[in-house]
Amino acid sequence: MAAALVLEGVTKRYGAFTAVDDLTFTAGAGRIMGFLGPNGAGKTSTLRMALGLIAPTSGRVEVLGCDDAAKVRSRIGFLPEERGLYRRMTPVAAIAFLAGLKGVPRREAHRRARALLEAHGLADAAQRQIRSLSKGMAQKVQLLSALAHEPDLVILDEPFSGLDPVNQQSLETLIRDLARRGASVIFSTHVMQHAERVCDQVVLLAAGRKVFDGTVEAARAAAPRALVVEGDFDPASLADLPGLGDLASEAGEAGAVRVTATLLPGAPAQAMLAAAFAKGLAISRFELREPRLHDAFIVLTARGAP
Amino acid sequence: MSRLFKIAFREYLAYVRTPGFWLSILLLPLGVTAYGLAPILMARSTPTAVLAVVDFSGRGLTGDVARAVAAPGPEDRPLARLVPAPGAPFANSAEATARLKPYLSGVRTLPGGGRLEAAAILRAAGATVAIDFWSRNVADRSLERTVSEAVTQSLRRERLRAAGIDAGVLASIDALSPHVADFSPKAERGVVALKDRLPGIAGFAMGMLLWMVVLTGAGMLLNSVIEEKSSRILEVLLSSASVPEIMGGKILGVAAVTGTVLLFWLSIAGAVLAIRFPDIAGDLAAILLAKGLWAYFALYFLGGYLMFATLYVTIGAFCETTREAQTLLGPMMILMSIPMIFMSQALTRPDAPLLAALSWFPPFTPFMMAARAASEPPLWQVAATASLMFALTALELWVAIPAFKSGALATGRFDLHHFLRSLARRGGA
Repeated sequence: MAAALVLEGVTKRYGAFTAVDDLTFTAGAGRIMGFLGPNGAGKTSTLRMALGLIAPTSGRVEVLGCDDAAKVRSRIGFLPEERGLYRRMTPVAAIAFLAGLKGVPRREAHRRARALLEAHGLADAAQRQIRSLSKGMAQKVQLLSALAHEPDLVILDEPFSGLDPVNQQSLETLIRDLARRGASVIFSTHVMQHAERVCDQVVLLAAGRKVFDGTVEAARAAAPRALVVEGDFDPASLADLPGLGDLASEAGEAGAVRVTATLLPGAPAQAMLAAAFAKGLAISRFELREPRLHDAFIVLTARGAP
Repeated sequence: MSRLFKIAFREYLAYVRTPGFWLSILLLPLGVTAYGLAPILMARSTPTAVLAVVDFSGRGLTGDVARAVAAPGPEDRPLARLVPAPGAPFANSAEATARLKPYLSGVRTLPGGGRLEAAAILRAAGATVAIDFWSRNVADRSLERTVSEAVTQSLRRERLRAAGIDAGVLASIDALSPHVADFSPKAERGVVALKDRLPGIAGFAMGMLLWMVVLTGAGMLLNSVIEEKSSRILEVLLSSASVPEIMGGKILGVAAVTGTVLLFWLSIAGAVLAIRFPDIAGDLAAILLAKGLWAYFALYFLGGYLMFATLYVTIGAFCETTREAQTLLGPMMILMSIPMIFMSQALTRPDAPLLAALSWFPPFTPFMMAARAASEPPLWQVAATASLMFALTALELWVAIPAFKSGALATGRFDLHHFLRSLARRGGA
């Protein structure tokens, strides 16, 4: 099966400003890819190039096995970062119209629109004008309008922004369902928790350049693990223990001290614990904290910063 | 292509479903009807004026004045009803004025009831007559003019009689007037009839109609694109359809809306003409069909609409708000007012050299050529001006397609530099 999206040495410049610099990655078919990066990292420009909305200054973009996204646009679903729909249309009409543009016959488009709205709890709002819906409902309608034609590739630009926690959760479920159906999903975000829970692959961008491409686990591995040690001891006494990097201490519970220490790459946590007991330190709590994607994001973007 | 029609259909429905559409479609015929009926209704609801004449001239002018004001006017009824001056006889004009004033001001009513509207006090003034005309309605001078004309004619006849001219001869002299017949080599039967003037009237009407359609249609397009741009719908559309499909769909959709309005208005106008003036309706239909004027008008209508619609759609893609667009369209509106000034001149001088020269400037071409229809411009001029107009439209589209995309994806306020750069580079988003 062809990859959903392939970028090879893609660069996009706006005048003297380079928004995307020599970007290469492949988004596998049927997988969920998170496109991560701080604001202004070049995510939207990259997604627009993938959609064929703008042309790269140099490099090659291949979407669903085709060099021209326009030729496969009916197989792509897109949700832009800033959202809006025709305010005077009903959700059914809006979804059916956009599905119609993607080649779904009129009657079938209306049937799918009604089914999608019903499946997502919007059956009662199906015939109301969009301007009368709440912001969350309208956002959901727009998302459904990107999916009604059952696309092979779904591109979502910051889909979680503006959603409340309940709708964020249901969007995560929806993304997983899309992947289960066989669709490839690419979404951009700067909120790491969503990507961490949902993605098979993450591509991290900083200042237009790729700083990471791989699984969530691999990304996490880029950040150091941390040890949290709590007890009645002098924090300085931990400094000479093996495998520890930076230390940060703070007051713990009941007069105890809590030290958070970074674990050097490859250092076993148990060795440090054994050394601490051997030294006779009064340790009441010991926790090995695996890095989160957020930690990896900070480390990787700092590493990739020019 | 089906996407183009889907966009056009959505655009059409979006307008047709609004109350504003139905208001605009109904208001013009209602307005025209009201405009036509207003003078009749006004005349019918206004009672015939009551006039008193006090004659101190010694020439016995009251009878002539009475006949003049009793003659049926434009509304097919007498201009005024003559009544004896209340309180007469008067010693002189000053007394007459003083005694009539309370009746004119409404303090007193006439003996049989009712109000005195006007009074004409005629007095000798050397060889002629002076008229002191009093009226409650200072805005309407028709009664004053009628009284003045009646007195003038009476004095003229008196003077001619005094010069020895017989009353019968005088009447025959007054009846003398030439029988004028209009001839023109362009007239169908040599003699100029209304049918020969109809192309000029139709040309002017079509020019005006096109001007209105361009303004309203382009305005609708502009607002529609601005709404889609500001709500980011354009970005979704661009991921679903090509720029020509989006632009073409919008232009076609709005053309269908304005076409519906025009069809409705023209049907009503045609029906009214056919019922009230069947001869004119027949002549007009014959001219439009026989001389191929319908194709002539259709050509410039299509070219003109496309030319301006493309421009407005492109400008809309660069604007987030209507205010931004209005700033840009200010100079455009000044330009658009120029054909308006010259189109009315074409009614009397459709072959004026200046009008012919203006026809060669593509933004004016559709309006000026429509208005010049009566002069039957040579075929080479029609072909050349239409080619220029369509060439400009093609150039516009060539520049506008990438510029539209660039503008649609841009964010923030209108950026003149970005706009010009997009036009110059054919995009470069």
